[in-house]
Amino acid sequence: MSAVLEIENLSVRSGETLLVSNLDLTIGENARVGLIGESGSGKSLTALAATGLLPPGLTATGSVVLDGTEVIGARDADLVPLRGSAVATVFQEPLTALDPLMRMGSQIYQPVLRRRRRAGEPAARADIEAEVRRLLERVALPDPDRIANAYPFEVSGGQRQRVAIAMALACHPKLLIADEPTTALDVTTQAEVLDLMAGLVREEGMALLFIGHDLPVVARIVDDVTVMRRGEVVERGPVGTVLARPEHDYTRTLVAAADAFDRALGAAR
Amino acid sequence: MTAVAATEPRRMRASLTLSVGIVLVGLHVVVALLTLVWTPYDPAGMAGGRLEGPSLAHWAGTDRLGRDLFTQIMIGSRIALTVGAGAVGIGALIGVTLGILAAFATRFLDDVLAAAFDILIAFPTLLLAMLVVAATDSASLFSAILALGLAISAIVGRLTRILAKRVLEMDYITAARTAGTSWAGIVFIHLLPNIWPTLLVNFALQFGLAVIAEASLSYLGLGAPPPNASWGRLLQEAQGTVYTAPFGAIAPGLALVTLVIGMNMLADGLRDIGDPTRRRSR
Ligand SMILES: Nc1ncnc2c1ncn2[C@@H]1O[C@H](COP(=O)(O)OP(=O)(O)OP(=O)(O)O)[C@@H](O)[C@H]1O
Ligand SMILES: [Mg+2]
Repeated sequence: MSAVLEIENLSVRSGETLLVSNLDLTIGENARVGLIGESGSGKSLTALAATGLLPPGLTATGSVVLDGTEVIGARDADLVPLRGSAVATVFQEPLTALDPLMRMGSQIYQPVLRRRRRAGEPAARADIEAEVRRLLERVALPDPDRIANAYPFEVSGGQRQRVAIAMALACHPKLLIADEPTTALDVTTQAEVLDLMAGLVREEGMALLFIGHDLPVVARIVDDVTVMRRGEVVERGPVGTVLARPEHDYTRTLVAAADAFDRALGAAR
Repeated sequence: MTAVAATEPRRMRASLTLSVGIVLVGLHVVVALLTLVWTPYDPAGMAGGRLEGPSLAHWAGTDRLGRDLFTQIMIGSRIALTVGAGAVGIGALIGVTLGILAAFATRFLDDVLAAAFDILIAFPTLLLAMLVVAATDSASLFSAILALGLAISAIVGRLTRILAKRVLEMDYITAARTAGTSWAGIVFIHLLPNIWPTLLVNFALQFGLAVIAEASLSYLGLGAPPPNASWGRLLQEAQGTVYTAPFGAIAPGLALVTLVIGMNMLADGLRDIGDPTRRRSR
């Protein structure tokens, strides 16, 4: 089985400061991998490095092979066609991840149009609009026509995140990167969006890199998990094993915190 | 319920602003076009006595040489609109292009462009105008427009650079890029629409400033040569007789103020239309 994303020995630096060090991470086709760690441990930077979109001033060394193409050192123009077809991303804060001045239907329209043009499929307005509507239904949005005509500030956070997921789906990526997609949502909405994503990833045959800092949330949607701390991988393995027998102290505190949280919830019930 | 009640007056105010702006600017445009084919009197010829006050025959009175002032103010509209549109047009074209380039550029090019904007902004417009006159070998309306356009391009460039950088940091830009949007797509689909409302208001401001600045340039002989009566020239000519014939200064002043205010209201109204969060709210 070939890998969609193969990261070897990735280091990200800001000047002399090492933000991610010697990270290895491989995601095979249809694999669902979690990346967890506390705030500032380098999860988002790893995801950005994977798509060649590190903020200016940060440099990456090592090797990132995305769908057969080396990303590090590549010209941006060579990566543009790769993005979207190989990978698409859903971000933490759906309000800032959508263009505030653009109707949400148009925001999904763009990636559909681009994908169809690249694939040489029919790209007539009516075809694309029909697909936008299907995508909105696919992410279980009620009243797709109203949502398509609305601006991001006019709908709820959960609905915005569904639109962001629809935008990512519109690309038909081989790998979906979700960077804490549910952190900004309340607990009920969080569960709904997670279940939606889990279902979509399975049905569309996408691989998933799910980033989070909440072990139970991540465990719900992935098979394997990599634990990061201060820019380094401290532990990795199947979710069940890591949860049941955490080897690293830091993972143990994560599991303990999650257990304590569960107990607190249980006591409250 | 309350949200709707709160936005209704705001929306009405926005459309009122826009309407007044359209009327004021539209009036000047109509007058300017009219002067191409007709003026009440020959702008260069004696039309009555010297320094007459306003009358039915001479709505704004006459100047020191007995020429009809209203005719000159009408022609002044044409010159003001030409200067404003020309200077802002040049400034916007150069400024927006370089500003966006700077926002996308490597650190080095960005620093160079930022420094160039700052230097040009610090550079006195007067000196710039003299250089342009020297370079084009004649003081004309065109040299004034070019000098003002260059000065405006630096201001617009700096503003565009800052606005564009802020937008380029937003998640939706990264999201669009991870989804495979090209640079051109980022600029035209996301960046320009998001910085446009702020730029537009700035253009209106620069338009007003350019019209006023042209007045000082033509006073110094760096703008439109006589007999082209720009409002600035009329104001300067009326200076010596402001106590005996105050209307000679009041009339072109009023014309200037109505155009500048109209431009600003037009821009405010357009911005409100372009911004969905101001336009409507549910
Ligand atoms: N543009 C940047 N320049 C310099 N340092 C940065 C930059 N972006 C992030 N960092 C630093 O890199 C480290 C890792 O950041 P990153 O965003 O990857 O963390 P994270 O694991 O995603 O955290 P969170 O859970 O809060 O999102 C942090 O210490 C952060 O301060
Ligand atoms: Mg992060």
